[in-house]
Amino acid sequence: MSVTSIVRKDLADAGRSKMLWAVVILVVLPTAGATGLLAVSTDEAAPKVFTLAFQLGIATLPIVALLLAKGAITGERDSGSLRLLLGLPPARRDVLLGKLVGRTVLMLIATLMGGLVTALVVVALLGSGVTLVMPFVGLLGLMGLAFVGLGIGISAASASDTRATVVAVGAYMLLVALWNLLYSGIQRAAAAVGLADGAAQPGWLDLVGIVPPNRAAAVAFDAIVSGRTFVVDPIGSLWLPVVIMIAWLIIPAAVGYRQFRAADLG
Amino acid sequence: MTHPAIEVTDLTKRFGDVTAVDGLDLTVEAGEVFGFLGPNGAGKSTTINVLLDFARPTAGTASMLGLEVHADREELHRRIGVVPENYGLYDRLSGRRHLELAIELKNATDDPSVLLERVGLSTEAAQRPAGEYSTGMAQRLALAVALVGSPDLLILDEPTSGLDPNGARELREIILTENDRGATVFFSSHILEQVEAVADRVGILQDGQLVALDTIERLRRQLDSGARVTLEVPRAPDHEPTGLPNVRDVEIGDGVVEGTCLEPTAKLEFIDRVRETTTVTDVRIEASSLEELFASYTGADSSADSDTATPKEVGA
Repeated sequence: MSVTSIVRKDLADAGRSKMLWAVVILVVLPTAGATGLLAVSTDEAAPKVFTLAFQLGIATLPIVALLLAKGAITGERDSGSLRLLLGLPPARRDVLLGKLVGRTVLMLIATLMGGLVTALVVVALLGSGVTLVMPFVGLLGLMGLAFVGLGIGISAASASDTRATVVAVGAYMLLVALWNLLYSGIQRAAAAVGLADGAAQPGWLDLVGIVPPNRAAAVAFDAIVSGRTFVVDPIGSLWLPVVIMIAWLIIPAAVGYRQFRAADLG
Repeated sequence: MTHPAIEVTDLTKRFGDVTAVDGLDLTVEAGEVFGFLGPNGAGKSTTINVLLDFARPTAGTASMLGLEVHADREELHRRIGVVPENYGLYDRLSGRRHLELAIELKNATDDPSVLLERVGLSTEAAQRPAGEYSTGMAQRLALAVALVGSPDLLILDEPTSGLDPNGARELREIILTENDRGATVFFSSHILEQVEAVADRVGILQDGQLVALDTIERLRRQLDSGARVTLEVPRAPDHEPTGLPNVRDVEIGDGVVEGTCLEPTAKLEFIDRVRETTTVTDVRIEASSLEELFASYTGADSSADSDTATPKEVGA
């Protein structure tokens, strides 16, 4: 009951933020535009173009999702509207859930709009690849939600919006921008301490490789593009990355809630 | 049996090394208007933060309307109305939308228009986004939000801040109306005249401890300063009135005789004694101000409004 009201309030309030939509447009338009350019300038087949567009999406959407979510609670904490809201019946749990749902909906709207525009550009220009539209939009959407969950968790655990912003940008750097560097560091460290030998990479290291939601999404999309929807090896499968993304949606928010529940909102 | 509106037992709240509230015991009875006084930093807001479950106490317990402030907060918050300190509004939502949200969240049936009218916000102002509101308008809206659902207990933390004198007077009227309806009103202030005008009882907090708790009448009586009686006389008396142990600081000035009377009966004795030597044409009696009372408890200077006493920092 409280949660529904807070979701509606949040959609009305955050949905009216010009900043939010500016960020969405700034990210979505170049993604769709670059994809369109790619589609007309190369003679690649639709699956290849979709894969490239997907890579663009998983590089840019995470920062949109994180920025969209990181201020969900800290923004209200800074402005003091959280004190007004918590003076009313809703508990902190309701506020967090309401924010999680509200920002999830906003992110879905942004991703569906951007994803659909991009996918339709590809299909229209190449005249093929219709079957990939759904997985393309769906997996980008799910990855976006994973980062919204992370952003909400960061927001719930942070005492100020500035701190939440710093942590959110840091998370983007580690999980997306610098991930390849970080991952090769982990691989080398594993080899150095004898956890992995040169020949075949152990399974757990493969698993670490798809822990970031964007990596998980890439693996899942690749599984669909190459028709590996039902395979025994979990790393190359569709289900494991999907489970990982769902875990990102839930676990950081739960951890953040523990902090938020105990916080002094003075 | 009715529960006390607020019951705080041995409440302590520490922030690191700083003890903001130190073993506070406080009971506010149902149906009273209680003024929670103290200079800034005395621990008033920390106490209220614990009452509102914004902060957990280091030790001690707090309950309101017989409900524990943390464990029963949801039920409790349906029955109280709150204007917290340092609250903010949703800049992009209209004033009316704020009220609708509060009505929804409290399962109340109030008409937003009625509440807006009560706090003196025009329908036209209520359509505007709250981000455009002045401090006074924001304060009126926050008060309207607090009135949603006819709460059994109103908790107002520094409710007059940002209100002009007119708004402050309207607030006092609303407090009294709510109290007549049966609501208990608990409000904090560092401005004494706000409290003096409406409170049945006051508690004065200083360094996290209650240094006084009584009706304003009785607190005033505890003071030695008493009432200042000024008698207008066409000609000065021959000598100072003597033999009045309960009259102090007698001064004979230009056409007046003044004295501070420590007891009610001392006023009549004072007047009688002066009339023995001269004619009294007029009598003025001034009760000692709460400012003096407050200062005597807190050791502050008599302009206890520290907002005006301390120069505000001016942004560069």
